[in-house]
Amino acid sequence: MPFELSHELKAAHERDSLARQDFVSSLRGYILNDMAAGMKARFEDEVEPALVRSLGRAVQSQDEVHAAMRKDTYFKFYSSVRYNAQEMVWRAVIPGVEAALPDLSRQIDRLSSHGGGSLSLNPDLDIPENVAGLDVHLMPGGYANTETAAAGAVYDNGLAVFSAGFMGPNLDDIGLSMSNYVKRRFPDFHPARILDCGCTVGHNAAAWAQTFPDAEVHGIDVSASVLRYAHGRAQSLGLPVHYHQMDATDLAFEDASFDVIFTSMFLHELSLKDIKAFFVEAHRVLRPGGLLINMELPPNQELEPYDQFYLDWDCYYNKEPFYRAFRDQNPEDLIVAGGFARSDYFRFTVPQFSFTDEDAFIAAVNAPPSFDGETGRLSASLNWFGFGGWKAKI
Amino acid sequence: MDSAAPRLPVDAEGRRPAFFAEDGVDQLVTMVLELATELWVLRERVFVIEAVADRHGLPLKAEVETYAISEAERAKLEGMRVTMMGQLFRTLNRDHRPVDADGKA
Repeated sequence: MPFELSHELKAAHERDSLARQDFVSSLRGYILNDMAAGMKARFEDEVEPALVRSLGRAVQSQDEVHAAMRKDTYFKFYSSVRYNAQEMVWRAVIPGVEAALPDLSRQIDRLSSHGGGSLSLNPDLDIPENVAGLDVHLMPGGYANTETAAAGAVYDNGLAVFSAGFMGPNLDDIGLSMSNYVKRRFPDFHPARILDCGCTVGHNAAAWAQTFPDAEVHGIDVSASVLRYAHGRAQSLGLPVHYHQMDATDLAFEDASFDVIFTSMFLHELSLKDIKAFFVEAHRVLRPGGLLINMELPPNQELEPYDQFYLDWDCYYNKEPFYRAFRDQNPEDLIVAGGFARSDYFRFTVPQFSFTDEDAFIAAVNAPPSFDGETGRLSASLNWFGFGGWKAKI
Repeated sequence: MDSAAPRLPVDAEGRRPAFFAEDGVDQLVTMVLELATELWVLRERVFVIEAVADRHGLPLKAEVETYAISEAERAKLEGMRVTMMGQLFRTLNRDHRPVDADGKA
């Protein structure tokens, strides 16, 4: 079941729309748990043995799995139903967002004057093609609409349905899990300035402001639409965040001006060229002794071929064309290319902060990372993957 | 919907992937899912209606069985059915192409 958003910008959906949202949320839960388990069993029981016989060896790559599964009826129904569910997520929330739009700008203006956050837009910014030219996540209209906060509203309301409760009450479990990982794992580290890059509606930037109330938290995105919404959303939650329209590959911040650079589900939407440019920028704006931390899908090198194939579904069928190219990389090599020392690289997995008791969370924070088919995957036994590095102290 | 309200797109740009080799099967899946959704919407509404009625001591179920639908109500229901059909067949005019060897659509 989706959580009901608890901030003032949430759209007031009609009862039938709410029923559609409940249905598609349950449908996604069924696809991602029951159907996913059924499809994996189908692979292990029938597809893989046949594939091994025809190859004369063990399965070695996700491409072999994908090619074999594309002929399988279970995969066809899984994919077709999942693709439809993705469309239905947006269709279930758009009527309510449309009805809310005439008042949305006024609401954001009103909220803007109450609270400590700010919004700085840059109408001259070139919107990169991966945002301007693509309806990422099959979200109709995409994320680049700069005229209103509509894209932010569709995304926030849609994500509440899409995540089927897995991302916590304010869709901020990733931000809470990552920031609390830092707080518990490095108790002597007290960041004064934190930057969330590619923050969309600011749901995770706001979580950092919650975890580190004494820090100054900033969020950037290239889309004015999502930032307008992010600003109103954070103000409504009483969490002061400063949002800027900016490209993560060309940050308009001073050298050595942040203690934490954070990203969440961001890198896999960028080309490798942009990922590399971003890490160079992240290294530049971090203070010596500062922390780069990225929440992402786990790298393919950590997973079995079937699990690689399973997670890369979105690359092929959910308009996320760079997803696999990122997951095929070694994250350690990527940040080293950005200027971080190999010895300062770290990686970890943590359970969901919102749904894990204190002791279990702390135990996981201090344990070695564990990778399995559930890592980074929205499912009942989810845990998040993160990696990063420290900028060398002078 | 207020006709003056701004309209947002409801379809993502581009062609939808066809997972099934047989033409039309992917669209049929959409139709079945849209039907299932609307069936659920109705079931949830009926559930709520009966609960509300019960809370007010109204013997709703018995009255529903003997209710006579008026001509005006029939016209209204016809309009609702047409809207539902539009949802049901919304993919018929969308381009589909088979997923190629690389899985791209």
